Amino acid sequence: MENANTLPKVSVYPLIGIGIVSGLFAAMFGIGGGVVIVPLLILLTRMPPRIAAATSLATLLLTSMIGTARYAGSGHIDWVAAIVIGVPAVVGVVIGISFQKRLPADWLIIAFGVLIIAIGLKLVFKL
Amino acid sequence: MDITTTTILIAIVAGVGAGVLAGLFGVGGGVIFVPTLVLVFSFHQLDAQATSLAAIVPVAAVGAWRQSNDDNVYWRGAMLMGIGAAVGVVIGAEIATRIPDGTLSQVFGAVLLLSGGEMIVSASRRLKAKRASEPE
Repeated sequence: MENANTLPKVSVYPLIGIGIVSGLFAAMFGIGGGVVIVPLLILLTRMPPRIAAATSLATLLLTSMIGTARYAGSGHIDWVAAIVIGVPAVVGVVIGISFQKRLPADWLIIAFGVLIIAIGLKLVFKL
Repeated sequence: MDITTTTILIAIVAGVGAGVLAGLFGVGGGVIFVPTLVLVFSFHQLDAQATSLAAIVPVAAVGAWRQSNDDNVYWRGAMLMGIGAAVGVVIGAEIATRIPDGTLSQVFGAVLLLSGGEMIVSASRRLKAKRASEPE
Protein backbone atom coordinates (compact mmCIF):
# COMPACT_ATOMS: atom_id res chain seq x y z
CA MET A 1 0.00 0.00 0.00
CA GLU A 2 1.11 3.59 -0.69
CA ASN A 3 2.64 5.41 2.23
CA ALA A 4 4.10 8.84 2.87
CA ASN A 5 7.68 7.67 2.19
CA THR A 6 6.90 6.62 -1.38
CA LEU A 7 5.02 9.83 -2.14
CA PRO A 8 6.49 12.01 -4.91
CA LYS A 9 7.78 15.30 -3.45
CA VAL A 10 5.03 17.91 -3.27
CA SER A 11 6.13 21.47 -4.15
CA VAL A 12 6.37 24.09 -1.40
CA TYR A 13 3.90 26.73 -2.66
CA PRO A 14 0.63 24.76 -2.62
CA LEU A 15 1.51 23.45 0.85
CA ILE A 16 2.14 26.91 2.30
CA GLY A 17 -0.94 28.22 0.47
CA ILE A 18 -3.15 25.46 1.91
CA GLY A 19 -1.66 26.20 5.34
CA ILE A 20 -2.55 29.89 5.08
CA VAL A 21 -6.12 29.13 3.96
CA SER A 22 -6.59 26.61 6.78
CA GLY A 23 -5.21 29.12 9.31
CA LEU A 24 -7.66 31.74 8.00
CA PHE A 25 -10.59 29.38 8.47
CA ALA A 26 -9.32 28.20 11.85
CA ALA A 27 -9.15 31.76 13.17
CA MET A 28 -12.51 32.74 11.71
CA PHE A 29 -14.55 29.71 12.68
CA GLY A 30 -12.70 28.01 15.54
CA ILE A 31 -12.32 24.76 13.68
CA GLY A 32 -8.95 23.06 13.35
CA GLY A 33 -8.81 23.60 9.62
CA GLY A 34 -8.89 19.92 8.61
CA VAL A 35 -12.17 20.42 6.74
CA VAL A 36 -10.18 22.73 4.42
CA ILE A 37 -6.81 20.92 4.45
CA VAL A 38 -7.99 17.45 3.38
CA PRO A 39 -9.99 18.40 0.25
CA LEU A 40 -7.36 20.95 -0.85
CA LEU A 41 -4.51 18.42 -0.47
CA ILE A 42 -6.44 15.89 -2.54
CA LEU A 43 -7.43 18.45 -5.20
CA LEU A 44 -4.23 20.50 -5.51
CA THR A 45 -1.45 18.01 -4.75
CA ARG A 46 -3.21 14.75 -5.77
CA MET A 47 -2.20 13.28 -2.41
CA PRO A 48 -3.90 9.91 -1.71
CA PRO A 49 -6.83 10.48 0.72
CA ARG A 50 -5.43 8.28 3.49
CA ILE A 51 -2.14 10.21 3.53
CA ALA A 52 -3.98 13.54 3.24
CA ALA A 53 -6.06 12.67 6.33
CA ALA A 54 -3.00 11.58 8.35
CA THR A 55 -0.95 14.63 7.28
CA SER A 56 -3.88 16.90 8.13
CA LEU A 57 -3.88 15.56 11.73
CA ALA A 58 -0.16 16.35 12.05
CA THR A 59 -0.79 19.90 10.77
CA LEU A 60 -3.70 20.31 13.19
CA LEU A 61 -1.41 19.43 16.07
CA LEU A 62 0.64 22.54 15.20
CA THR A 63 -2.38 24.77 14.44
CA SER A 64 -4.27 23.81 17.60
CA MET A 65 -1.20 24.31 19.79
CA ILE A 66 -0.58 27.78 18.31
CA GLY A 67 -4.27 28.66 18.70
CA THR A 68 -4.42 27.35 22.27
CA ALA A 69 -1.27 29.28 23.20
CA ARG A 70 -2.82 32.43 21.76
CA TYR A 71 -6.04 32.04 23.77
CA ALA A 72 -4.46 30.66 26.98
CA GLY A 73 -4.53 33.32 29.67
CA SER A 74 -7.32 35.23 27.90
CA GLY A 75 -9.93 33.44 30.00
CA HIS A 76 -11.71 32.13 26.90
CA ILE A 77 -10.65 28.49 27.37
CA ASP A 78 -12.74 26.35 29.72
CA TRP A 79 -10.07 23.74 30.54
CA VAL A 80 -12.48 21.38 32.33
CA ALA A 81 -14.77 21.35 29.29
CA ALA A 82 -11.78 20.84 26.98
CA ILE A 83 -10.77 17.75 28.98
CA VAL A 84 -14.31 16.38 29.34
CA ILE A 85 -14.89 16.60 25.57
CA GLY A 86 -11.28 16.04 24.41
CA VAL A 87 -10.51 12.80 26.26
CA PRO A 88 -13.47 10.85 24.77
CA ALA A 89 -12.41 12.27 21.39
CA VAL A 90 -8.95 10.71 21.84
CA VAL A 91 -10.69 7.32 22.21
CA GLY A 92 -12.77 8.17 19.13
CA VAL A 93 -9.78 9.06 16.96
CA VAL A 94 -8.19 5.64 17.61
CA ILE A 95 -11.49 3.95 16.64
CA GLY A 96 -11.82 6.16 13.53
CA ILE A 97 -8.30 5.36 12.31
CA SER A 98 -8.87 1.61 12.65
CA PHE A 99 -12.12 1.92 10.62
CA GLN A 100 -10.28 3.98 8.02
CA LYS A 101 -7.80 1.17 7.34
CA ARG A 102 -10.63 -1.12 6.24
CA LEU A 103 -12.40 1.32 3.91
CA PRO A 104 -11.47 1.72 0.22
CA ALA A 105 -10.08 5.22 -0.48
CA ASP A 106 -12.65 6.39 -3.04
CA TRP A 107 -15.58 5.49 -0.81
CA LEU A 108 -13.84 7.39 1.98
CA ILE A 109 -13.71 10.52 -0.20
CA ILE A 110 -17.39 10.18 -1.13
CA ALA A 111 -18.36 9.84 2.55
CA PHE A 112 -16.26 12.88 3.42
CA GLY A 113 -17.78 14.84 0.51
CA VAL A 114 -21.29 14.06 1.81
CA LEU A 115 -20.28 15.18 5.32
CA ILE A 116 -18.87 18.54 4.22
CA ILE A 117 -21.79 19.19 1.85
CA ALA A 118 -24.14 18.68 4.82
CA ILE A 119 -22.13 21.15 6.91
CA GLY A 120 -21.96 23.55 3.93
CA LEU A 121 -25.75 23.46 3.43
CA LYS A 122 -26.25 24.11 7.14
CA LEU A 123 -23.99 27.17 7.02
CA VAL A 124 -25.20 28.65 3.72
CA PHE A 125 -28.90 28.35 4.49
CA LYS A 126 -28.48 28.90 8.24
CA LEU A 127 -30.40 25.69 9.07
CA MET B 1 -19.17 24.23 32.75
CA ASP B 2 -21.56 22.68 35.27
CA ILE B 3 -20.64 19.05 35.75
CA THR B 4 -23.71 16.82 35.95
CA THR B 5 -24.24 13.25 34.81
CA THR B 6 -26.16 14.54 31.77
CA THR B 7 -23.51 17.01 30.63
CA ILE B 8 -20.80 14.38 31.04
CA LEU B 9 -22.80 11.83 29.02
CA ILE B 10 -23.44 14.35 26.23
CA ALA B 11 -19.76 15.41 26.24
CA ILE B 12 -18.67 11.76 26.00
CA VAL B 13 -21.01 10.99 23.09
CA ALA B 14 -20.08 14.18 21.20
CA GLY B 15 -16.39 13.68 22.01
CA VAL B 16 -16.23 10.07 20.78
CA GLY B 17 -18.24 11.05 17.67
CA ALA B 18 -15.90 13.95 16.91
CA GLY B 19 -12.89 11.67 17.45
CA VAL B 20 -14.20 9.01 15.07
CA LEU B 21 -14.68 11.71 12.38
CA ALA B 22 -11.18 12.98 13.14
CA GLY B 23 -9.68 9.52 12.68
CA LEU B 24 -11.69 8.75 9.55
CA PHE B 25 -11.27 12.04 7.74
CA GLY B 26 -8.31 13.83 9.32
CA VAL B 27 -10.33 16.73 10.66
CA GLY B 28 -9.74 17.93 14.21
CA GLY B 29 -13.25 17.57 15.55
CA GLY B 30 -13.91 21.31 15.89
CA VAL B 31 -16.82 20.96 13.47
CA ILE B 32 -18.53 18.93 16.24
CA PHE B 33 -16.94 20.56 19.34
CA VAL B 34 -17.96 24.16 18.57
CA PRO B 35 -21.69 23.54 17.91
CA THR B 36 -21.87 21.15 20.91
CA LEU B 37 -20.34 23.71 23.26
CA VAL B 38 -22.57 26.53 21.95
CA LEU B 39 -25.86 24.66 21.59
CA VAL B 40 -25.67 22.18 24.50
CA PHE B 41 -23.47 23.95 27.04
CA SER B 42 -24.51 27.55 26.20
CA PHE B 43 -20.93 28.72 25.58
CA HIS B 44 -20.30 32.07 23.91
CA GLN B 45 -18.99 31.61 20.35
CA LEU B 46 -15.45 32.82 21.14
CA ASP B 47 -15.18 30.69 24.32
CA ALA B 48 -16.41 27.66 22.35
CA GLN B 49 -13.82 28.26 19.62
CA ALA B 50 -10.95 28.66 22.11
CA THR B 51 -12.02 25.59 24.14
CA SER B 52 -12.45 23.59 20.92
CA LEU B 53 -8.86 24.39 19.90
CA ALA B 54 -7.59 23.16 23.29
CA ALA B 55 -9.62 19.94 22.95
CA ILE B 56 -8.17 19.36 19.46
CA VAL B 57 -4.55 19.26 20.75
CA PRO B 58 -4.69 15.74 22.33
CA VAL B 59 -6.87 14.41 19.46
CA ALA B 60 -4.40 15.62 16.82
CA ALA B 61 -1.42 14.41 18.87
CA VAL B 62 -2.71 10.85 19.32
CA GLY B 63 -4.09 10.72 15.77
CA ALA B 64 -0.84 11.92 14.18
CA TRP B 65 1.19 9.52 16.34
CA ARG B 66 -0.93 6.49 15.34
CA GLN B 67 -0.87 7.45 11.67
CA SER B 68 2.86 8.13 11.83
CA ASN B 69 3.47 4.57 13.03
CA ASP B 70 1.86 3.39 9.78
CA ASP B 71 4.01 5.85 7.74
CA ASN B 72 0.90 7.72 6.60
CA VAL B 73 2.06 11.19 7.68
CA TYR B 74 3.83 13.37 5.09
CA TRP B 75 5.75 15.37 7.71
CA ARG B 76 7.38 17.80 5.29
CA GLY B 77 3.92 18.84 4.11
CA ALA B 78 2.56 19.06 7.65
CA MET B 79 5.42 21.35 8.72
CA LEU B 80 5.04 23.66 5.69
CA MET B 81 1.27 23.85 6.15
CA GLY B 82 1.79 24.53 9.85
CA ILE B 83 3.98 27.53 8.98
CA GLY B 84 1.36 28.78 6.52
CA ALA B 85 -1.38 28.24 9.08
CA ALA B 86 0.41 30.39 11.67
CA VAL B 87 0.36 33.26 9.14
CA GLY B 88 -3.25 32.52 8.20
CA VAL B 89 -4.40 32.59 11.83
CA VAL B 90 -3.13 36.15 12.25
CA ILE B 91 -4.72 37.39 9.00
CA GLY B 92 -7.93 35.45 9.68
CA ALA B 93 -8.40 37.03 13.09
CA GLU B 94 -8.10 40.48 11.45
CA ILE B 95 -10.65 39.65 8.72
CA ALA B 96 -13.06 37.98 11.13
CA THR B 97 -13.40 41.15 13.17
CA ARG B 98 -14.23 43.22 10.06
CA ILE B 99 -16.80 41.01 8.32
CA PRO B 100 -20.29 40.32 9.74
CA ASP B 101 -20.54 36.85 11.32
CA GLY B 102 -23.39 35.66 9.09
CA THR B 103 -21.68 36.56 5.80
CA LEU B 104 -18.48 34.86 6.96
CA SER B 105 -20.12 31.52 7.68
CA GLN B 106 -22.07 31.61 4.40
CA VAL B 107 -18.84 32.09 2.44
CA PHE B 108 -17.32 29.16 4.35
CA GLY B 109 -20.41 27.05 3.63
CA ALA B 110 -20.17 27.83 -0.10
CA VAL B 111 -16.50 26.73 -0.15
CA LEU B 112 -17.50 23.44 1.52
CA LEU B 113 -20.32 22.84 -1.00
CA LEU B 114 -17.94 23.33 -3.95
CA SER B 115 -15.12 21.15 -2.64
CA GLY B 116 -17.54 18.44 -1.40
CA GLY B 117 -19.21 18.32 -4.81
CA GLU B 118 -15.88 18.09 -6.61
CA MET B 119 -14.70 15.27 -4.33
CA ILE B 120 -17.84 13.18 -4.90
CA VAL B 121 -17.78 13.69 -8.68
CA SER B 122 -14.06 12.84 -9.07
CA ALA B 123 -14.21 9.81 -6.73
CA SER B 124 -17.32 8.45 -8.49
CA ARG B 125 -15.58 8.87 -11.83
CA ARG B 126 -12.57 6.87 -10.57
CA LEU B 127 -14.81 4.14 -9.18
CA LYS B 128 -16.65 3.92 -12.51
CA ALA B 129 -13.38 3.75 -14.45
CA LYS B 130 -12.13 1.00 -12.14
CA ARG B 131 -15.32 -0.99 -12.61
CA ALA B 132 -15.16 -0.61 -16.41
CA SER B 133 -11.56 -1.85 -16.52
CA GLU B 134 -12.33 -4.99 -14.52
CA PRO B 135 -12.97 -8.15 -16.61
CA GLU B 136 -16.58 -9.36 -16.67
